Amino acid sequence: MFDAVRNNKRIVQVFLGLITLPFAFWGVESYIRNAGDSRDVATVGGTPITLQQYQQAWRNQQERLRGALGPNYNPALMESPEARLAVVNSLVDQRVLLLEANKRRLMASDDLLRDVISKIPALQEDGKFSAARYETALKAQGLTQTGFEAQLRQDLTLQQLVGSVSDTGMVAAAAAEAMLRIQAEERQVAELRIVPEQFAAQAKPSAEAMQKFYEENRASFEIPEQVRAEFVQLSVDALLAQLVVTPEEIKSWYEGHKDRYQQSEERRASHILIPSGSDVAQAKSKAEAVLKEVQQNPAKFADIAKRESKDPGSASKGGDLGFFGKGSMVKPFEDAVFSQKEGELSGLVQSDFGFHIIKVTGIKGGKLKTLDEVKPEIEAELKRQAASRKFAEAAEAFSNTVYEQSDSLKPAADRFKLPLQQTGWFSRRGGQNAGVLGNEKALAALFGEDVLKNKRNTEAVEIAPNTLVAARIVEHKPASLKPFDTVKGQIEEILKIQESNALAKKAGEEKLAQLKAGEDKLGWALVKNVSRMEGSRQVPPAALQAIFKADAGKLPAYTGVEFPNNGGYVLYKIMKVSQPSSLDEGKRKVLQKEYTSLVAQEDFAAYLAGLRARYKVEVNKAALEDNKDR
Amino acid sequence: MAVYDLQEQEQLDEIKTWWKQHGNLVTSILLAAAIGVAGWQGWNWYQGRQSAQAAVVFGVLQKAALEGDAQRLKAAAGELLENYKGSTYASLGALTAAKVAFDGGDLKTAKVQLAWVAENGKDELRDLGRLRLAAVLLDEKSYDEALKQVEAKPAPAFAARYAEVRGDIFLAQDMKDEARKAFADALAAIDAAAKAGSGAQDAQAAAAYRQVLQQKADALGEAK
Repeated sequence: MFDAVRNNKRIVQVFLGLITLPFAFWGVESYIRNAGDSRDVATVGGTPITLQQYQQAWRNQQERLRGALGPNYNPALMESPEARLAVVNSLVDQRVLLLEANKRRLMASDDLLRDVISKIPALQEDGKFSAARYETALKAQGLTQTGFEAQLRQDLTLQQLVGSVSDTGMVAAAAAEAMLRIQAEERQVAELRIVPEQFAAQAKPSAEAMQKFYEENRASFEIPEQVRAEFVQLSVDALLAQLVVTPEEIKSWYEGHKDRYQQSEERRASHILIPSGSDVAQAKSKAEAVLKEVQQNPAKFADIAKRESKDPGSASKGGDLGFFGKGSMVKPFEDAVFSQKEGELSGLVQSDFGFHIIKVTGIKGGKLKTLDEVKPEIEAELKRQAASRKFAEAAEAFSNTVYEQSDSLKPAADRFKLPLQQTGWFSRRGGQNAGVLGNEKALAALFGEDVLKNKRNTEAVEIAPNTLVAARIVEHKPASLKPFDTVKGQIEEILKIQESNALAKKAGEEKLAQLKAGEDKLGWALVKNVSRMEGSRQVPPAALQAIFKADAGKLPAYTGVEFPNNGGYVLYKIMKVSQPSSLDEGKRKVLQKEYTSLVAQEDFAAYLAGLRARYKVEVNKAALEDNKDR
Repeated sequence: MAVYDLQEQEQLDEIKTWWKQHGNLVTSILLAAAIGVAGWQGWNWYQGRQSAQAAVVFGVLQKAALEGDAQRLKAAAGELLENYKGSTYASLGALTAAKVAFDGGDLKTAKVQLAWVAENGKDELRDLGRLRLAAVLLDEKSYDEALKQVEAKPAPAFAARYAEVRGDIFLAQDMKDEARKAFADALAAIDAAAKAGSGAQDAQAAAAYRQVLQQKADALGEAK
């Protein structure tokens, strides 16, 4: 082998050179990089959107929807294939924008970044950006400064790109004016309705037609599978009712938690402050003089305080500080206040501020609530605690019992002293009869194969926090088809309506043809003015379109349209076409704005579609499907 | 100097001759490659710097647009078009400046900005520039020039909008048959895109836009 190398040195050298070349330019990572994961939900311009990214976005969207809809939120909303695809699509949109921004070297400037961060209200202190707050906030979120700023810069860059395209839509004034005229145009029409009831006598559906209808619409004549079930519900509330708390237990709890029932004490005091300033001795002698005066004239405390106290907050109020609790005053002051009796005068109390002369003027609280006062509170508390404890212990035993003795719920009911309850008939879709079993998880368990066919207990299902339910089927009615004879009348009715509607339509079309040929001998009624702007309130949308689509070059013009929901046929005679003499300026503005924003939206959609086409987008539908049972 | 055996001597000579023959060529290839790489890096660096500077000016422009400061807006847009022609920020700035000018009734400025994008913008931005330039020209009643803008072939995604504006232009000249056909084209384009799944992703907005097109088409009645 080495001979071969030696003899062909030149070839080997060239070969070695060729091997080293790519490493010089592309590095090793392009060889070991994951070439694409089959679980990625999409690839956009060669970059993957991973399953994790998708799931995160899906959860975010779910949260948003839940927040927006509140109790009306239905989990199935987010499970539909359309909803999944919408999540992927928004990720793809974001990705193409990002790729485009990178390709075009767009990147928001440092100035902008600084500006935006400094204006985040949570990072401000006294209306100014605070670096310390910024740091704390980052730490609290577990972010590094570089990471956060890079993410923010990316968001801002995308905003620049998106904003420059989507906020700059323009509509030519001429086009807007034309649109306005279209919207405002009024057509005076007379109406002639041909109702299907006129033709009811002629509509005689044949037996074959009815049979055919029955065969073709089996699904609508099906009675779904139904069950009657019994169930046992284990919940904290159910356990609560079983518990008894003895007076001794309440008493010992009370003794052990007295601090909870102690109301904190507050006192009200007045004081005279002689600040120590630079000369403490002088201040002290001054304070002593004031003290003496107060002692001689305790009733004049307020007056003296007004005159002598140098505490700006309280002097004008006669020294009154109002009520305060422990911990809100300096220590020597607090000690003095909380050791004096009400109405008593202190000696000189020295604090950092200077010398105080204090009088306590009120005491409130500080009492212990008696056992009788708090008995119900303690009883409820103890019961709740015991019930949660018991529930936690019982939950597993309950699950095991219904599983191990799976042909009856009685053992579980007896063991936990729970009532065995029964439901009425209900289908897989739940409904009122199902009661607590109407819960989605419970229904799924109940209509599972083993439970349904072998009449076993369901597992214990958590239908709400701290609430477990186990159920079994008492009686089962399989799905069935209503026999033809029982629904014959119903079918006949439907077909009659359909046929008479068809007859009405035919008659209407014939009449319209005559009208267009110039024969108008009809009894028109109901003259009204319609416009597109107000239209949907006056006539159904289909009729509105027909009226305005009709060529009004020569009046009267005629048009006709089939009314929705087997409503027959309606003929319209257009008698006058006009523009309103003046259009309300407000309305004009609103319409113009609506039209512009619609066009801007379309522009942006087209922009995105253009990007999508340019950066090959592939959505992996299979990965989306697999992901169903997350 | 080391002593080589005969075979090695031979090989050395061989290499020396080879080098004499091809040495210059190899050196010049290597040199050219090195210069190429350095040039590429330098170009990238230069582009990055230009873009970063353009971003700063664009930031100023955006702020001015937000505050409605027409003077500063115009200055910033001018600077972008003048000094940062190569940056996409120039196109984005021009679109923004044009919108503000258009809303303020300054058709002349709007036209200049959009004409620049229609001329120098890349891909979809150029398509947008043409589309909007046509709207401005329509308002200036320069119908032929306006038409020229939207008769250019845009990315397929813009086909409906282009057709719509063509219709607007025909309608303004009371050319009803042409307008009718243009609006019909717009409807056909939007339906085709929806069918192919390449249209707007927001179904509600797409339906609202389609209705507008339908109304415009209906207003012209059936073809005769």
